[in-house]
Amino acid sequence: MLVHRSTKRGVFAVAVAAVAALAVSALPAQAFSPHSEVGVTSTTIKLGITVPLTGAAAPGYNKVPYAMKAYFDYVNDNGGVNGRKIQLVIKDDAYSPILAKSVTNDLILKDKVFALVGTLGTANNEATSKFVNDKGVPRLFVNTGFSGFANTKKYPTTYALFPSYYMEAKAIGGYLDDKFAGKKVALIYQDDDFGIDALAGFNQVGTKFVAKIPYASGSQTDPTVVGKWITSIVTSGADTVVLFGVSTATAAALGGAYKAGLAGKVQWILGSVGADPTTIKTLAPTALPLLNGAIAASFLPSANDSADEYVAQFQKINTQYNKGASFDNNVLVGMNAGMLAVQALRAAGTSPTRAKLMAAIDASGSKFASAGFAPLGWSKSSHIGYNGYWFGRIAADATIAPVDGAGKYVLYTTDSSTGAVVKSAIARPAMPAKGLPTN
Amino acid sequence: MRKSKSLSALIFFAIGLFLLGLSNFVDELRAYQGAQVGIYVIAISSIILLTGFSGQISLGHGALMAIGGYSAVLSYNHWHFPMLLAFTFGAAVAALAGFILGMAAARLSGPYLAGTTLALAVGLPSLANQFHILGGEQGLSFDIGEAPKWIADKTGGDFTQYKWFFWISVTCTLFTMWFIKNLLQSRFGRTWRAVRGNPSAAALSGINIGRSKVLAFTVSSALAGLAGALLAMILGLVAPMAFTLTLSFTLVTGAVLAGVSNLGGSIIGALVLVVIPEITDAVATHLGGSEKISANLPGLITSVLLILTVIFAPNGPQLHKRNKSGKAKTQ
Repeated sequence: MLVHRSTKRGVFAVAVAAVAALAVSALPAQAFSPHSEVGVTSTTIKLGITVPLTGAAAPGYNKVPYAMKAYFDYVNDNGGVNGRKIQLVIKDDAYSPILAKSVTNDLILKDKVFALVGTLGTANNEATSKFVNDKGVPRLFVNTGFSGFANTKKYPTTYALFPSYYMEAKAIGGYLDDKFAGKKVALIYQDDDFGIDALAGFNQVGTKFVAKIPYASGSQTDPTVVGKWITSIVTSGADTVVLFGVSTATAAALGGAYKAGLAGKVQWILGSVGADPTTIKTLAPTALPLLNGAIAASFLPSANDSADEYVAQFQKINTQYNKGASFDNNVLVGMNAGMLAVQALRAAGTSPTRAKLMAAIDASGSKFASAGFAPLGWSKSSHIGYNGYWFGRIAADATIAPVDGAGKYVLYTTDSSTGAVVKSAIARPAMPAKGLPTN
Repeated sequence: MRKSKSLSALIFFAIGLFLLGLSNFVDELRAYQGAQVGIYVIAISSIILLTGFSGQISLGHGALMAIGGYSAVLSYNHWHFPMLLAFTFGAAVAALAGFILGMAAARLSGPYLAGTTLALAVGLPSLANQFHILGGEQGLSFDIGEAPKWIADKTGGDFTQYKWFFWISVTCTLFTMWFIKNLLQSRFGRTWRAVRGNPSAAALSGINIGRSKVLAFTVSSALAGLAGALLAMILGLVAPMAFTLTLSFTLVTGAVLAGVSNLGGSIIGALVLVVIPEITDAVATHLGGSEKISANLPGLITSVLLILTVIFAPNGPQLHKRNKSGKAKTQ
């Protein structure tokens, strides 16, 4: 009986301890704010972001928030937004929806941010959606290409920035019709929603493939799997291969094709997800010979194109405010989202509210200046950001230049339903002087 | 014995009422964290039951939680099961999976069993990408909605969804703890302890070791499944990313911090898992430190606590000597 009693006493003691701990931690962390809107005072505006700072997904992605913060610091040093300084609260979600949910709770309930900006990951954004909606917190420029977030009924406060995979496939299909008519095209794609979205897009524009080669996410590291891709390509007689997968799949495919002696025999066209030359270079040096000459879809300028006015300005800011970070695509993405956020905040007026912020993006977001070559599609009825791609050729030094020659950008824009693919010249708004928005 | 049972039921009931009442005085953030603590308590208890009482090791409880979570969500979304039935269904399917896994587990021990369950934790979540019904990488959404109106009206005021999560989680947790406590005091509990203590002696006393181990695995899996379903509830979705290897390891960490053979300790383990990131965040903010510190500090503190626990209180902060339970067996 001794143990029986002591166990019960133990359980009771622990329960009391638990209640006490909860009660103590229940003391509210209220912050006094003279301004009527959450997260906005007469001198500050507080924004929040969740990203993986630790864990397997952290390398690369962990540069996004600091680049954004560097841009905000630059704007703050130049007068801020209507006299208010932007504070960015950065939270680590380790790329786990469980953590994303709890740190988003912290951002909204404890830190009391005005809006979220650049939150990263599909499942992570999905996990926080209900709460973000219920609280009416604007969630600007989510860092994911999942097409679902543009659904304004389901995610009324969310603004997508990247074009969806479906739109990307349509744009690639349009490009193939334009430049590769009559060629034998094969497709390698990831057989999950990422690839399925893309297949639907290709079907929509009627792209015909001589071979469709699916692969399970993760299987690309298996050399026998890659061997099968190469065999399928060779037996189908394809002279052009579209690769709609992640960077590791690109690296594996190009490496395998080089070994099989396909160099110079097949033209590779890479989807934007798996087309970052710097990443591929680090992943598989064996892929390099075929990377040279591959065509890649992008909506932002190349991060190493210092002739681009936005890239040049961001590089300057990066040196001054983001010391120690090498300038790459992640830094470009972070600063670009920061610049858009500043314009959205300015457009929301001198006494911003969450409702005014969203109304301002709906009304004038499509005119915001940004580094992207594709136009922005935000309006009252659509929360889709960029809606098109340009195609560039990767050079031996891993830089990307437009296929038709330096500076000759051609855009393939489309929509997220049955609209046609439209070819146009780029019409990007000029960068505001010194990268400081004046809208 | 009968008297003590009804007394313990009464105590659990009182704690429940107190906690539910308490939810009126805490903000949404604490209500959510309270719900999280409840879920971890159930999940850690399932490991304590398995490891501490039946002597089997599982590094794959995250996968069993995934099975419970996905089953509950599918039954709720597709067959429109009522919420409570969906949770039960999640636990039942996880129990079935645990039963099958347990059959293999009963033949394995030590590192072999750890390896098998680990493989499950690594491999299972990626199944979501193979079957379209499982929703792929972005998972399936799961919205149980707001609290029923009569509850909201009774308690008055603003009954948020997080508070409703807290209520459900607390109720499930207390029910589970009461169930495990009684189970461990029953014939099954004594059998498990006997098998853990000395399998040969237990077999000589007429205990069917294999059956006893499979049963422990099944019950433990059912609890993990319930925790998975509840986790899906508070997240509002099931996705492969939610049930990673890290989750499985976190649970084992929580169980070790709790003291693997100490059921009550699961509350300590769960509190540590939820409270530590909160504390480090506060510390980092006060020190004016960067988020790089607050991102890495919880891992450091948990590791240090784990090492200290293993060195100074291997059976948990509450019970220092396992031979106490050894005495119980002889009674």
